[in-house]
Amino acid sequence: MTLAELAEASGLPARTIRFYIARRVLNGPVKAGRGAVYGREHLARLEQIQRLQAEGRTIAEIGRMDGHREKAVPAARGTAWWQHAIAEDVMVWVRDGLSPWRTRQVRAAIEEMAGRLRMSHDEE
Amino acid sequence: MQRLWLSGRILAAGARLVVQHVFRCDEEQPLEVIYSFPLPRDAALRGFRITGEGFEAHSELRPTEEAVKAYEKGVADGSLAAVLRHYGDGVVNLTVGNIRPHETVTLYLELLAGVELRDNGFRFRYPFTLAPAYHSRMRAAVTAGEGELELPADEFGDMILPRFRKDAAGLHEVGFQLDVLHQLPVDEVASPSHSIRVKQNGGSPVQVALSTEKDVPNRDLVLDVNFRESAAQVLAGSTGDGRRNFAAVAPSTLFGAQTTAPRRTVVVLDRSGSMGGVPIEQAKKAIEACLATLSPDDAFGIVAFDDKVEMFDSSLQPGSREQRARARAFLDQVTARGGTELAPAVAAAAKVLNGGGDLFILTDGQVAGTERILEQARATGVRLFSLGIGSASQDRFLSLLARETGGVSRFVTPRERVDLAAVDLFASMGRPVASQLKAGPHIQPELPRQVFAGTPVLVFGEIEDSSGESIELSWDGGRLALPIPEGDAATGETVRLLQGSRLITDWEVRYPAEEALAPLEKRKQSRVAIRLQELSQKYGLSSREMSLVAVVKRAGDRPGELPETRVVPVGMAQDTKFGAYFGSPGNLTACAMPAPPAQAVTMVFGSSSPRVPESAAPPSSLAQRARELLRGTKFAKPPATFQGEGRSAARRSEEDDLLDLAAQLEPDGGMPGETASVRVGRTIAALLAFVAAGHTASSGAFRSHVARLVEFLRRASGVPAGEQRVIDRALAAADAGKAPGGGWQALAAAPSANWKEIEKALG
Repeated sequence: MTLAELAEASGLPARTIRFYIARRVLNGPVKAGRGAVYGREHLARLEQIQRLQAEGRTIAEIGRMDGHREKAVPAARGTAWWQHAIAEDVMVWVRDGLSPWRTRQVRAAIEEMAGRLRMSHDEE
Repeated sequence: MQRLWLSGRILAAGARLVVQHVFRCDEEQPLEVIYSFPLPRDAALRGFRITGEGFEAHSELRPTEEAVKAYEKGVADGSLAAVLRHYGDGVVNLTVGNIRPHETVTLYLELLAGVELRDNGFRFRYPFTLAPAYHSRMRAAVTAGEGELELPADEFGDMILPRFRKDAAGLHEVGFQLDVLHQLPVDEVASPSHSIRVKQNGGSPVQVALSTEKDVPNRDLVLDVNFRESAAQVLAGSTGDGRRNFAAVAPSTLFGAQTTAPRRTVVVLDRSGSMGGVPIEQAKKAIEACLATLSPDDAFGIVAFDDKVEMFDSSLQPGSREQRARARAFLDQVTARGGTELAPAVAAAAKVLNGGGDLFILTDGQVAGTERILEQARATGVRLFSLGIGSASQDRFLSLLARETGGVSRFVTPRERVDLAAVDLFASMGRPVASQLKAGPHIQPELPRQVFAGTPVLVFGEIEDSSGESIELSWDGGRLALPIPEGDAATGETVRLLQGSRLITDWEVRYPAEEALAPLEKRKQSRVAIRLQELSQKYGLSSREMSLVAVVKRAGDRPGELPETRVVPVGMAQDTKFGAYFGSPGNLTACAMPAPPAQAVTMVFGSSSPRVPESAAPPSSLAQRARELLRGTKFAKPPATFQGEGRSAARRSEEDDLLDLAAQLEPDGGMPGETASVRVGRTIAALLAFVAAGHTASSGAFRSHVARLVEFLRRASGVPAGEQRVIDRALAAADAGKAPGGGWQALAAAPSANWKEIEKALG
């Protein structure tokens, strides 16, 4: 199928498909140049990308997940971390500078953990 | 992209601009380039011209669906194609497809933009970058050192945001050369954002240009134009077909005096992570100073929000000494953290207000999905005043938020005094200088129903060229007629386009939520979509429903060749922390925190004993731990080394001292003191400290404070004759707006009244 037909079939704009190809999360057409052709595997991959995005994955993550060519960010060395002593015997480390939404997720997880530990402590 | 250069003319009613974009393909394959930018306030795109070696083409305005199809066909045919399309939040994607290897393509984009009006001038902003914004479903990633943000497609469609670089050096160059056209004599043109060169020559346009050869795309251009006087300006001109278009700027001083009715106000403070550092500290200080202008008859509330809403009280409280002390204690524990969930905060604040009154929002407005927030804010039925702190990307949203609810907005850069701007705006709230404002026929869009001190009314309209009509404004207790000059055709066409641009902006945020998110083909029957199409066609301007497209057929075009897509990176908006959106990308070895273990789990439970910083010392009980986690205190901003990174540290200045004085005013308007004599003496000194700094009861950011101090002194009774003479002299000085020299601030701050010094200084 042509790019226009692939766009129609996947419900994604052609520009988005080209963007995915440039980001190496989708392979280029089977045949390049005049009469470029895309196959069923392209459609299946686009459906998979949409599914993964709905699950909260970024394009960069999707590219990394299956060994595509995105460069992974090396783990920062010497980065600042915050310590959270949430029980006498439990310490949680959280990297400084998380995005606000990630901070919210982490905070909720720590709250839950602290709550559970407190309940166990009270039961004892 | 190689270059982005802004030129054009700025008038008191708005700007008509041309932005030059130069793209060059340095690769061995054709490219498709996507440049994403935010629209300034009240902006719309008029058209573009695209040029290159051996070709020049002009854009066409077409329904968006058709424009996208034409672009895609052009790309598939191997032609050079370009499309400009509006998305939600005023973001535009400029996509240029099939730039050949080593080819240079230049695109000149014409657009119209509004300005932020003030009685004695205006502020013009143009975004050279796009500041990231918070959305609860946004996803962030860092790839090859560049930050990427992805917004949910079901809400934002196929909009692509730029990549964000922490360091903008090496990106495309930016610059500007602008003419400021003015009817009133210009006192000053200044920029808090860029170093500028200003050429003024009597009544000719003032020429303003970047003083250096070029700059980097990491901040917005901000220009302040101040006139020597505050007076009405009417711009007009014939636009053909026997019509004359006009735009009038009527300063608030032409209306009445501020009413003295009790005020009902809820302050909504954004405490999200992006407000960290100087802005939130200044905002908190400003709130204290604002509350000091309240009397016990006034009522207030405070709501602080990030992704949670925290309230000072569930109902309005009187502006009494006790409640102000409570408010201070509440503000003391507010720190910056988390995301920006503005809509629930507005809803909570409206509930506290429970009836008529105003919301005063202090925010950087770095939030995505603004149309929904606007819809929810309109539904509350309360009036919003907004003080935006940050990037022009959000100027459009915050100005709409205020306008759509009948309030006023101001926007400052993070490097300006947030506190003074807040005090200034608060002084005009709740007490309009005109109510039930109405205009004669031919006026569009509708005027605000109320006018507030400091902010002019902008009127757009159209009359028959030969009618000789005036602009008729009337309000409760007053009326005003502004003659419409003949003007010239160029001015007439510009104000006609500015009118169209303003109407389109207003309608673009009126899609009901379900329609705004619907695919283009399903949106066709929407009342808003139909109106936008009409407006686009009438004024020849783009909108969400009509886009600009051009396709250039060149010799040697190769159909079917797939261009490689490139997204143009921009600099992270100056004063916005990269880490606040994308985590910490690099080494932060200067941080005072202990380094993490190489293997987090094994180290935490390993033999080494990690150094725990004092700030993170374990609390004494588990319950306290839970509370602190809930409050997010453990997630307080990083150490001072990183706080306010890029933001200017506030140096102690005269304004800081005045703010401290302002915050001390008692609910009766006087300064505190143990005896009546001390209170009167300190109040005189405080009044003259403000007057000496240029503030009077009717002008300056501290005008409300001055008015209250004057009121207190006028009411003072049982004062000994000697002290009364000093009061009279101080009031006369305040009326004249001239304070004799003296260490007034020190005298006002002293715990006792030094009458001898006060009397001596007054002469």
